[in-house]
Amino acid sequence: MHKGAKTFRPCKEEPKVLQLSDVVKSYELKSTVTALAGITLSIAAGEMVAIMGPSGSGKSTLLNLMGGLDVPSSGSVLVAGTDLARQSEKERSLFRRAHVSYIFQAYHLMPTLRVRQNVALPLRLAGVAAKEAEARVERVLAEVGLENRADHLPDELSGGERQRVAIARALVTDAPLLLADEPTGNLDSARGKEILALLRSIHGRRGTTIVMVTHDSEAASACDRLIRLRDGQVEDDGAAPGGDR
Amino acid sequence: MRFLLRHLSLSYARRNLAKTILTLLGVVVGVTTFSSIKTAQDALVVGIGSTVDRVAGKAQLQVTMEGGVPEALQERLRNLPGIRATSPVIEQIVIPEKGELGSLMVIGVDLLGDREMRDYGFEGDDADLDDPLLFLAQPDSALFTREFAKRAGLTTGTSLAVKVPSGVRKVTARGLMSPKGFAQAFGGNLMVVDVYAAQELFGRGRRFDRIDVRLQDGVTVAQGTEMLQKTLGPAYRVETPARRGEQMERLVANFTAGFNVSSAFALSIGIFLIFNAFNVSVNRRRRDIGTLRALGATPRQVQVLFLAEALIIGLLGGALGCLTGTAFSQALLVSMGQSTEMVYGISGSGVVHLTPAIVLQSMLLGLIASLIGAWGPALSASRISPTEAFAKGSFQAKVQRRVGPRIAAGVAFVAGAVALALSSVVKGNALVLSVLLLGGIGLVLLIGPLSRAILVALGPLLTRFFPSAGPLSSDSLLGNPRRSSGTIMAMALSLTFVLGLGGYMGSTRLTIVRWMDDILTCDLFVRASANFSRPDFLYPGAVKGEILALPGVRTVESYRAIRPQFRGRQILVGSVEMDTLMQRVRYSFAQGDLKSMKEGLLNKEMCAVTENFHDRFGLGVGDKVPLQTPGGVVQFPIVAVLHDYSSDQGAVFLDRKVFLKHWQDDRVDIYDVSVTPGTDPGKVRDAIRAKLSGRYPALISTQREFKDEIGKAIDAFYAVMRITVLLALGVAFLGIVTSLLISVAERTREIGILKALGALPGQIARSVVLEALVLALVGLMLALPAGNLFASFMEGPVAKAFTGWAMPHHYPWEVLGELIVALPLVSFLAAGIPARQAAGVKVTEAIEYE
Repeated sequence: MHKGAKTFRPCKEEPKVLQLSDVVKSYELKSTVTALAGITLSIAAGEMVAIMGPSGSGKSTLLNLMGGLDVPSSGSVLVAGTDLARQSEKERSLFRRAHVSYIFQAYHLMPTLRVRQNVALPLRLAGVAAKEAEARVERVLAEVGLENRADHLPDELSGGERQRVAIARALVTDAPLLLADEPTGNLDSARGKEILALLRSIHGRRGTTIVMVTHDSEAASACDRLIRLRDGQVEDDGAAPGGDR
Repeated sequence: MRFLLRHLSLSYARRNLAKTILTLLGVVVGVTTFSSIKTAQDALVVGIGSTVDRVAGKAQLQVTMEGGVPEALQERLRNLPGIRATSPVIEQIVIPEKGELGSLMVIGVDLLGDREMRDYGFEGDDADLDDPLLFLAQPDSALFTREFAKRAGLTTGTSLAVKVPSGVRKVTARGLMSPKGFAQAFGGNLMVVDVYAAQELFGRGRRFDRIDVRLQDGVTVAQGTEMLQKTLGPAYRVETPARRGEQMERLVANFTAGFNVSSAFALSIGIFLIFNAFNVSVNRRRRDIGTLRALGATPRQVQVLFLAEALIIGLLGGALGCLTGTAFSQALLVSMGQSTEMVYGISGSGVVHLTPAIVLQSMLLGLIASLIGAWGPALSASRISPTEAFAKGSFQAKVQRRVGPRIAAGVAFVAGAVALALSSVVKGNALVLSVLLLGGIGLVLLIGPLSRAILVALGPLLTRFFPSAGPLSSDSLLGNPRRSSGTIMAMALSLTFVLGLGGYMGSTRLTIVRWMDDILTCDLFVRASANFSRPDFLYPGAVKGEILALPGVRTVESYRAIRPQFRGRQILVGSVEMDTLMQRVRYSFAQGDLKSMKEGLLNKEMCAVTENFHDRFGLGVGDKVPLQTPGGVVQFPIVAVLHDYSSDQGAVFLDRKVFLKHWQDDRVDIYDVSVTPGTDPGKVRDAIRAKLSGRYPALISTQREFKDEIGKAIDAFYAVMRITVLLALGVAFLGIVTSLLISVAERTREIGILKALGALPGQIARSVVLEALVLALVGLMLALPAGNLFASFMEGPVAKAFTGWAMPHHYPWEVLGELIVALPLVSFLAAGIPARQAAGVKVTEAIEYE
C-alpha cells in the first residue's frame, strides 16, 4: 500500500467476504514483472466495490486472484474464509462454482448456445437437474428483463442485452460474490447506465457482494467504495464519490 | 505474396505448430502409403522380370511343357539346325534353415555345358571354383553369390542347411560367383546346383523345368521360335525369356492391383485431412483475412495465399512421404513376395529402389492432394468480406440451412452408383472406378447433413448419460459443423472402405470354407510340397498302391494339377479318380447334374469346368475345351459347370484315366486318403509316414489341418485388406487428433470461460474424450449402411469381374466387432493430447484469447 493511502472502513463491522494479505503476483518473463506488489485489503459481505487504476496497474490481476482464476506468488487470498492460494485448481473450481460469479467486459458468451443455454451453463457444470436449472434460468432471465430473448443466439442481441445475459449467468448460481471486469467497457453510455442500474438493483435486492474493475468514473460512482491501484499497489481506498446510496 | 507467406502464413504455422504438423501428416500418410506400395509393387514386378532375364543369361528362347520337359528332348534340340547351345534348367525356391537369410532361388543347371549360356563370374582375379569335377561328383555341391555367402558366413568348403521337400539338407559351397549378370538374379539370393542333383532333390523325375536355347549367329529369334515350334509340336511352349517374365508379371497383376486401391484410399483420406485442416485454418484466420481485405487485398490474392501454403505443405509432405514410404517398402515387399510365392509360386528379388519416377509421382501426388484439399477452403477464404470477418462469433454460429438440394444430389449420386453397379454398361476397372467415384461423391454430399442430424439426435442422450461433459461435447460438435462433419466424413469414408473390404473378405472366406466342407471330405491329405500352386516335389504315381495297401486305408485318390495357358490366362487343369471322388463330395452345379457328370467324366472323356471358367471364356455344357496335351490339342466336351473355387482364373476337371492317357505323366501332387470306418486317422497317418520315410517328403495333414492351411493361403491373398484396416484406424486416429486439437485451439476462450464458470479440468477433459468417442460413433453409424452397400458391390460385380466368382452377401460382423473394440480405444488415445491441452488451459490467458 502506498504511504499515506487511506484505508476504507465500512460503517458497520460486516463479516468479511474477501481478505487479501500481502498479496504479490509476479510473472517470470524475460525479467520478473510484478503485477501486484503486496496488496492487503478486505471486503465485507454486501459491499459494492469499484477498483480503478491506469492500465497495467494490476486491476484485472487482482480480480482474477479474488475469484481464484489465478493464484498469488505470495500472500493469502481468503474468500469466505477459504484461502484460495492454498487450493488446487480443482478445489478452486469447485469453490468458484458455489461462491463466485463473473461478468466480463467482452461478455464471453458461447456464440453457439442460445441465451437460456448460456445462462444455464454454470448449473449444467455443477450437475443441477435439468428441471431445476430451467426454473432458475427463467427466474434470472426475468430478473434481467430478457425473458422474451431466451431463444436467441448471442449475435442476435445488442451489446447491452448480451451483458444482461452475462449478468443473468452470473446470478443463476446465487453466488454471494460477483466479480465484474469492466462490465460497461463495451457499451455506449446509455446502455452502460442501464447495466449499472441493473447491478445496483441486484446488489440492493440480493445483497450480493460486487467487486467491479472499471475505467469509468460514472461506474465507480455507482459503488459504495472505491479502491485505486497504481503500480500494483493500493493507492487509495475509500468511499466512492457519490457512493452514498 | 512472398511477404504475406513469410509474415502471415509462417507466423500462423509457428503459432499453431501442432496443427501445421498434423496437416502435413495428412499428406505424409497419403504419400507414404502410395510410395511404399508403389515402390514395393515395382520392385516385385521388376524383380520377377529381372530374375527371369538374368537367370536366362544368353538364352534367347526357352522351351517348356506343362508338367516338365522330358530329359530326352535336350538331345533332340541340340541336333537341330540353327541351335548353338542348349541347357536344361530346374528352378526352385527354398528357405535356408536360418530364415533371416530370406528365400533362396535354386537353379539346377548342367554346369559343364552351361558356360555358353550364363556367366558365372569365375573368370579373372576373383575366380573361385575349386574343382568343376568335384562339384559334379558330390551331389551336395552348390555355388553361391559372394554377397549371399558373406551374409550367411559361407566360404568355399563350408555348408549351409536348407529346407527341401524331403527335410533339411546340407549343401556345401564349392565356389562363389561374382555379383554380375546371372549372379544378380533374385537379389543375389541364388544357389546353383547340378541339374541332375536338383531332379533328385525336388522330385522332378526325369524331367527338367525347361530347356534354355541359344541360337547360332544369323538365326533370328522369330526364325528360331518358328523352327522349334514346328519341330516340337503344340505340346511344347517356345518363348523368349522376356515373354515368360511378362506372363508371370500378369499373373501377379491381380494381386498387386489390390494394393493400388489401398494407396488411392490412403491418398483420398489424406485429402480429407488437408481439407479439414485448411477449412479450420481459414475459419481461425477470418480476422486476419478480413484485415487483409480491408487493407486492399483482392479475393484472388487471398485465395492464392492459401493455395501457396498448400503448395508448400504438399511439397514438404510429398518429400517426407517419399522418404518414409521407402523405409516401409522393404517390409511391404517381403510381405508381398511371401503372398505371391504362396498364392502363385512366384517370387522376385527382395531389394527396393526409390526410382526418380516414384519420387516425381509421390511429390506430384502430395502436391495435387494438398491443392485439392485446400481449394475449397481457399475459395471460401477469398469470399470473406471484412465486415463479416470482424463480427466475432457470427461465423461460428452460422448453420448451413439449405441442405435439401445437397441431400437430393447425394441420394442421386448414390442411386447412380447402385444403378451402374447393377447394370452391365461398364466392366472391369472402369466399373470399379466409376462406381466408387459416384458413390464417393454421394457419400460426401450426404455425410454432412446426416452427421448433423445424428449429432442433434444424440444430444439429449449425451446430456442424460453424461450430465456435465455431455452437453459440452454436444455443443462443441454442433457448434462447428464444418469441423465435425469434415472429421466424420473422413472417418465414415475410411470405415465404409474397411467394412466393404471386410465384408468381401469375409464373404470370400465363408464361401470357400463352405465349399471346402463339401469337397475336402477325405480324412488325410498326403503332399510332398507345402506350396499349393507350384509344388516343389511330385510323387510317382506308384505311391498310391503303397498307401492303399496300408491297414485302415479305404480309398486313395491321386490329385494332379497342371496350370496351362488358355486364351491368355493360366487356368488349372485338375485330375483325380472321379469314380471314388464323386461318391464322397457334394457338388454344387451351375449347369448339368451329378448323374450326367459321372457318365461324362468316367465313360466319355468329358470334362467339368468351374463357373468362373464358364464366365471368362463363355464355354458351358455342350461346348468343348481345347487343351494342349503332349500329343496335340484335344477337345474335351463340357458335361457340367460347377460352383468351385479351385482357381481364380478358372479350372477344368478330368478323370485321372483321361489325364494319364493324354498327358502321359503319372506324377501326383496330393494323395487324398479316406480311412475305413472306426479307424483312427492318426494311426494311418503314422503308417503312411513310416512307409514314405527316407524316400519321399511327406506332409500329411488331417482334413482340419489341410483346410486351415488353405485358409492361410486365402488370408495371404487378402493381406492388402489388413493394411487397409490399419490405415483406416490410422485415419481415425489422425482425424480425431486433428479435429480435437483444432477444436481445443478454437475454443480456448470458451474453455477458459467454462473454467471461470466452475468447470473442472476433469470435466473439460472428459468432454473432449466424449467428443472423440461421439465423432467415431457417428462415423461408424454412417459407415454401417454405406459399408454394407460397398461390400455388396465388392462381393457381386467386382468379385465377378476379377475372379469370375459371385459371392453371396455376408455382413462383415467380424470386422464390425473389431472396429467396435478398436475405435473407442483409438478415439480415446487420439483424444489424450487434446484433452490434456484443454484441461490445462489457463483461465486468465484464455479469457483474453482471441
